[in-house]
Parts: sequence; C-alpha cells; structure tokens
Amino acid sequence: MIDCYHMIRTQVSLSEQEYEAAKEEAKRLGISLAELLRRSLRTLLPEEGQPPWMRFAGMVESGDASSSQRIDELVYGSKD
Amino acid sequence: MPPPVSELMSSFMAVRTRAYVDTSALISFADKSDTYHRLFRRLFSTPPALLTTPLVVAEGHGWFLRRYDRTRALEFLAMIESMTPLELVPFGGPQQRAAIHVLRGFADQDLTLADAAGLALMKAQQIKVCWSTDRHLGLTGVPLVIHLH
Repeated sequence: MIDCYHMIRTQVSLSEQEYEAAKEEAKRLGISLAELLRRSLRTLLPEEGQPPWMRFAGMVESGDASSSQRIDELVYGSKD
Repeated sequence: MPPPVSELMSSFMAVRTRAYVDTSALISFADKSDTYHRLFRRLFSTPPALLTTPLVVAEGHGWFLRRYDRTRALEFLAMIESMTPLELVPFGGPQQRAAIHVLRGFADQDLTLADAAGLALMKAQQIKVCWSTDRHLGLTGVPLVIHLH
C-alpha cells in the first residue's frame, strides 16, 4: 500500500515510444503508470541500508551455472 | 618508540582480513545464474578490505563485452567504481615482472597474465584469502573462499 501523504510529485519526460510502451506494460500488469515507474526505479536503486554496489548483484542472468568458471574460454577463446 | 598495541592490532586485523578479488568473483556476483552467486552476494554485502588489479577489471569488462554488449560492459565498470572497499593495485613494470615470474614457475598450467598478477600480488601483500571460483588462483596455497564457506 502506498502512503500518499509522504509522496513527492515530480515530472518526467518520456519519448512517445517509451510512454506508449510503459502504458502498455502497466495495463498488462494491471497497475497505474506511476506505479510502474516507481517499480522500475526501485529495481535500479540499492535496497535500503545496502551498500551502493549491491544494486549490481545479479544484474545479469546468463543461464550458465558455471559462468564464473568459464571466463577464460569466453574472453580469450577456446583451443581448437 | 614502538607503535601502540591498538595500532598493531588493527594493522594485524587489516592484513588478516584483506582478500584478493579475482574476475570470477565479480562475474559470479553479477550473474544470477552462477552456482556461487548467493555466496558472493553475501560476501560483497559486508566486505573486508579488498584488492584486485586492473587486469581483472579488463577481463571482467571483456567478459561483458563478449557475452553481452558495450552497455552491460559499462555497467560492469560502474559496479567497480561503486565498490569503495575494492582497492585497485596498479600494474606496472615490477608487477609485470613478478607475474611473468609466476607464469614461468607454473609453465605447465594455462594461467593467464591476470591470474599470475593476482598470485604475485597475494604473495607480495600476504593476502590469506582469495575470492575466486578459479582453481588456478589456489595454485600457491592461498585458500579460495568457495572452499571456506
């Protein structure tokens, strides 16, 4: 539940394409455009009390459980 | 005059808890799919003093460029910049010579220059723990953090 008494109103400028895509996504999720923007923002900001670099934890999902053990293969290439 | 005991203790603690960070630890932290992601997520949330080299940063940046794109690669660099407990130890002539010495000592291994630079740095700075998932970083006997948790 959102505490409307402690909300700060602000304006953002979006391109027409961004605006349409955001509206579409909000409609799909059944939430307001404002709520969609708030949720998007929360994914970018570090969680409260967390150091700033923690927002990068899990920033990608490669699908490879051994990705950290196969760095040389990807960066330097594998031997034929 | 000898330094006060408290100063000696804090200096001892700093040496004791410092850890070397290898590329694999950074990738595991950033990649939700990696087996060790949860461990590194926990470790990086309350880290001790950390050290690494510019070669590790270059490798990590290269990984994101190859695996994803330049935007993700820049995001990786932003992650490094935000990690204030992580000290980047410069890599110049003396460090390169030390790394090459390590490479010659382990000529039977497929060590990269970045790996060798890390091994040389851990020896020079008496680092006792290595944040890595790469067995090469354990070649000189420094325990890998994945085996301690």
